[in-house]
Amino acid sequence: MGVITCPAIGVDASGPVACLMLNMGANHRGGPHRINVKLAHRLASLGMTSLRMDLAGLGDSGPASSAERYLIQGIRDLQAGMDLIEAKFGIRRFVVVGLCSGTAHAMGLAVADTRVAGILMFDGYSFPGRRWYWERAFWRALAAPTNPAVIGKTVRWMRRKLLNIATTPPVDIFRVDEESPEEIQAIFKNSMNEITQRGVAVYLLYSGTQHVRDRSRDHLGPLVREPFAAKVKYEFARDIDHTFTSIAAQQAFMVRASAWALGIASNFTVPVSTGSASEPISLASFNQRRATAPVAPVAQRPVGAAAS
Amino acid sequence: MTPVMFGPPARRLFGIFHPSESASQDKGAVLICPPFGQEALRSHRFFRVLADRLARTGFSVLRFDYHGTGDSPGDDIDGEFDGWRRDVLAAHDELRRLSASATRRVAWLGVRLGGTMAIQAAQCSRLALERLVLWEPVVDGRRYAQQLREWHVESLELSYCIPEPSLRRRLADDAHAFTDEASGFAVSPLLRQQFSSLQPESLRIPTDCRTLVLGQPGDDSLKKWIQLQVSEPPVQFSEFEHPLIWNSDPSSNNAMVPAEALKRLLTTMYE
Repeated sequence: MGVITCPAIGVDASGPVACLMLNMGANHRGGPHRINVKLAHRLASLGMTSLRMDLAGLGDSGPASSAERYLIQGIRDLQAGMDLIEAKFGIRRFVVVGLCSGTAHAMGLAVADTRVAGILMFDGYSFPGRRWYWERAFWRALAAPTNPAVIGKTVRWMRRKLLNIATTPPVDIFRVDEESPEEIQAIFKNSMNEITQRGVAVYLLYSGTQHVRDRSRDHLGPLVREPFAAKVKYEFARDIDHTFTSIAAQQAFMVRASAWALGIASNFTVPVSTGSASEPISLASFNQRRATAPVAPVAQRPVGAAAS
Repeated sequence: MTPVMFGPPARRLFGIFHPSESASQDKGAVLICPPFGQEALRSHRFFRVLADRLARTGFSVLRFDYHGTGDSPGDDIDGEFDGWRRDVLAAHDELRRLSASATRRVAWLGVRLGGTMAIQAAQCSRLALERLVLWEPVVDGRRYAQQLREWHVESLELSYCIPEPSLRRRLADDAHAFTDEASGFAVSPLLRQQFSSLQPESLRIPTDCRTLVLGQPGDDSLKKWIQLQVSEPPVQFSEFEHPLIWNSDPSSNNAMVPAEALKRLLTTMYE
């Protein structure tokens, strides 16, 4: 299930590029605090069509129709969404906004499908070193005496540690297919090198939920000297939190995301036809067709290869 | 399950219709009036599963988003009671049209502020409601607005590595602080005023509608409000303890579709 939001009639279309948005964790397609809907409205007002969709098993979408792994199924679902936009509007290039767990799907889609012109990965893959953790502990300790919220957070953290340590292992949301942390890092590195070499625009945006500062692209950790690192747009935004809890954080995110998306669209100049307002759609028929198309695992596709 | 857009051209609404899947049993139609803000996001999946299950057993169900919420057009700031009440009525008409039975039994399930909107919309004389089920309706607007302020601050504290240190102080000292947004959803001056005006004494259940109120065991204010009602048949109250945390962030480690709550709601709707 998904919803297409088109520029209103009379609004100049930004070009033959549409935006795809998907689930963050278990949120439905609207995103945390309705951020996907708000971004869709903003993009439409600026001339860009978007599709926000529920992957199989989430929100209003039905269960997966195949026995594929979760990540592969999600990539197929997104390709079905792109097929639909292409069929309805003739748009053949896409930017993908992936939030948190959605960054894995955004990156996998960019590897698998050359129609992807850009991906925004918000609070996604992160490989910080020890310094990052020590600095965070230092800043929190410094704030604690005068900041009751930090004291509360620390108490809750200690309670969680003490109560859950024996029963609940920590969850790594990017570990969808039983990879080791080293394998996840290798997948990220290979995928990023591949798609940036292909010219896919990548925007790595990190929030102020995890830390209060970022000295030298800290989330990239040991990958900071990889070839892809010089080609991506990297930003730490302390004013934005992981789930866009305040209107101010939402605005800050939307300004960044829409400027980035429109910047990519400006590279493509063929005009497209526009409809108006929002349209709910079912992806079932497109998914049926997609179910027969093979999708390679993330980071294992040769450079330039497309899924179909 | 069919997505639909309905309502007047200037105020289109998004909904999802779950037609009855039972050829042998027609149990009527159910309109789900969702909560407000984060509560609606949090409970989205719960009501999707509930609607699926109800449809399987013979109910036709419509879920919808009020104007300026969910997938419906409009911005947060457009939200206000009068429009939302009209949205409930528009959704009721759409459900009757979709289920192709203008005379058939229609029940409303109103949840939290959606329950409040359902109560107010049910005053419309043209309606022939079979039943009203209200799950923890908001009957005291001032108390609810204060709860939204506290949740907002709580969410901000959880959301930042080192939150703004003055949040708690401002919450305690300034009654106007954090009233223009509720956990990421804009609250207009009109909606604030409507929260203030919403008093238990002024919120009356329609006199001729079979009504069940589901509430937490310790919610004495809800029980007192029910005692104020003079409807016939009398309003029924049933205690409903559940693990659903209305304002929780979906990333948190708690159930989105707790099985026992789902079972209880299904049983309730079958009654």
